[in-house]
Amino acid sequence: MNNPADHLDIGALQDLKEIMENEFETLVNTFILDSRNKVEELDLVVQQRDCDALRKVAHSLKGSSSNVCAFRLSELARQLEMMGKEETLDGADKVLTSLRQEFQTVSEILANNL
Amino acid sequence: MDNQAQALETEVKETENLRILIADDNDSDRLILQTIVRKEGHTVYTARDGQEAIDIFKEQSPDIVLLDALMPNVDGFEAARTIKELAGDNLVPIIFLTSLRDATSLADCLAAGGLDFLSKPYNRIILQAKIKAFASMRRLHETVQAQRDEISLHHDRLVHEQEVAKQVFDNIAHPGCIDAPNIKYLLSPMAVFNGDLVLASRKPSGGMFVFLGDFTGHGLPAAIGAMPVSEIFYGMAQKGFSLQDILREINKKLKRILPVGVFCCASMVDLSFRKHSAEVWVGGIPDVLVYRKKTHELENLKSRHLPLGVVDSDRFNTDTTIIQLEKGDRIMLWSDGIIEACNAEEEMFGEERVMEVLLSTSDPDAMFDALVTAVERHTGRDEQDDDYTMVEVTMVGEEEMGNSYGADGKSYLAGGPKDWSMTYELRPLTLKEFNPLPLITHLLMEVPGLRPHSGKIYTILSELYSNALEHGVLDLHSELKASADGFARYYAERTQKLNALEQGCVRFHIDHHPVEDGGVLTIVVEDTGPGFDFKSKEESPHKTDGYSGRGIPLINTMCRSVRYLGKGNQVEVIFDWHVDV
Repeated sequence: MNNPADHLDIGALQDLKEIMENEFETLVNTFILDSRNKVEELDLVVQQRDCDALRKVAHSLKGSSSNVCAFRLSELARQLEMMGKEETLDGADKVLTSLRQEFQTVSEILANNL
Repeated sequence: MDNQAQALETEVKETENLRILIADDNDSDRLILQTIVRKEGHTVYTARDGQEAIDIFKEQSPDIVLLDALMPNVDGFEAARTIKELAGDNLVPIIFLTSLRDATSLADCLAAGGLDFLSKPYNRIILQAKIKAFASMRRLHETVQAQRDEISLHHDRLVHEQEVAKQVFDNIAHPGCIDAPNIKYLLSPMAVFNGDLVLASRKPSGGMFVFLGDFTGHGLPAAIGAMPVSEIFYGMAQKGFSLQDILREINKKLKRILPVGVFCCASMVDLSFRKHSAEVWVGGIPDVLVYRKKTHELENLKSRHLPLGVVDSDRFNTDTTIIQLEKGDRIMLWSDGIIEACNAEEEMFGEERVMEVLLSTSDPDAMFDALVTAVERHTGRDEQDDDYTMVEVTMVGEEEMGNSYGADGKSYLAGGPKDWSMTYELRPLTLKEFNPLPLITHLLMEVPGLRPHSGKIYTILSELYSNALEHGVLDLHSELKASADGFARYYAERTQKLNALEQGCVRFHIDHHPVEDGGVLTIVVEDTGPGFDFKSKEESPHKTDGYSGRGIPLINTMCRSVRYLGKGNQVEVIFDWHVDV
């Protein structure tokens, strides 16, 4: 298993857990469900070369993943957002693959943290 | 209370419960934000997009709005603009939730009405600080707004009060017969608030009083003195009091009611159209000018007195200047406003210019307007915003005045009891307690035109009454009063006899009959005393010598006749009077 600290800011996550209390589980579930949809959407818009949609969905995922302390996932989303913005989709597939992998890892770590 | 408890309480007070709207399309972000805000003790409303945010805002009008910039349907920018519009004058702080970093996007947020940003990932401490800062900003805004509303309310009330005050002043300090054909005047509608006052009244005798006053100061304090001045002026003028009486009364009243340093510079003219003369009093105001039509010359009547309301009654001087006027001669009164009217270079118009303008105008009828025009040209203002007051009174023939008695004015022939008689009998209980003279004088003064003779009439009545009471009913002998010792004895006896009085009475028979330009007043005073042998005294060569001690010689000089009747217990006085003009 990967080291959780390579993917998530553990200290910040601990704080978040304390703040959320009982709602933490809901938050994790909501995040996972919501992000899964977004990752699928990203797949679609990259295939369709829809730069504007790519920028928006990636932007949203960047924000929400940063909020759950998933800094690496957030960074990958940012790279896709920039590609959408600059309308240069070269390498987007590659980033998207990494992102999908990263999302899987983060989901597992978060689920284990409950 | 110990320190810890106090600190705790302060903290509780600081944590104000706010109603906060959170709009974010991202479920997990919204959940985190909502949890943090709620934990701070605030009430949270959530929206998933801009439209929902607008709808909730309309319903709940929250205190602070946290708005995600990029949302489906209506985005954050548009929602912010709509919310700002809905909030109107109220400050609703909008904080944008964004992970946008580029300057253009951030500027867009501000342009849409956002006050600040909160970037993802959310930081609890920063969020808390921002909410606090904006809550206090909002409170500050509410305070300013409340104060603004209060100021505007006060202002409205002040304006309203001034309007009411103006109405009251206009009703009381009305300019009387100022519209008479021989008067021209310049008086701004708000003059009373500049402390300026012009009053004019016809006299019961047909003459005219004109009064120009200039109170120190401005605004309400300057205006307040106008009320008593006007009340006294019109009240006394209509009753036929003299210029001296009126000025003395105004001075006394102002001295009593006005604070030190507030007084009334004034000039007053008593104009007689029959005698073609004027009596002028000037106190602390620029020279009154007299224009002679025949010679086209001006005479100055300088102020010889202190303003009204400065000195006590006993030092108040009512000396006047009496001048003869011909038809077409004019008297001009003004406040110092004209003389002190400045041009752009702060140069006063000055008395010299006044004289110059008047003398260089050949048509006397055009002088007044020429002066007004010259002042306006000098100041560069029109008469709307002036604070100068000026009156010109022209001597005319009595017939030209016609019925110009002003709104409430009356001719001396109109109204009032003129043809009547009465009998008034005073019996012991009344004689002991009551002095009938003021009442009888008051009744007589209702006779139109008789007022100027009140002094003589009072003297006659009081002499006759004290004779009837003391020498008649009480049978006291005036010889007693010859020595100082006897004087005291006389009054001791008077008191004693009056206290013991059980029978006897004094009767007044008063009859007034009008004649052309005046009337005949007959007063008979009768007492129940023993009377005296008046016939032998009437035969003496100096007819009235023998009545010494009864004040009869004095009375004799005042009236047509004094006669004793019956057994000497009745005396009849016939007083002829004419309107004083």
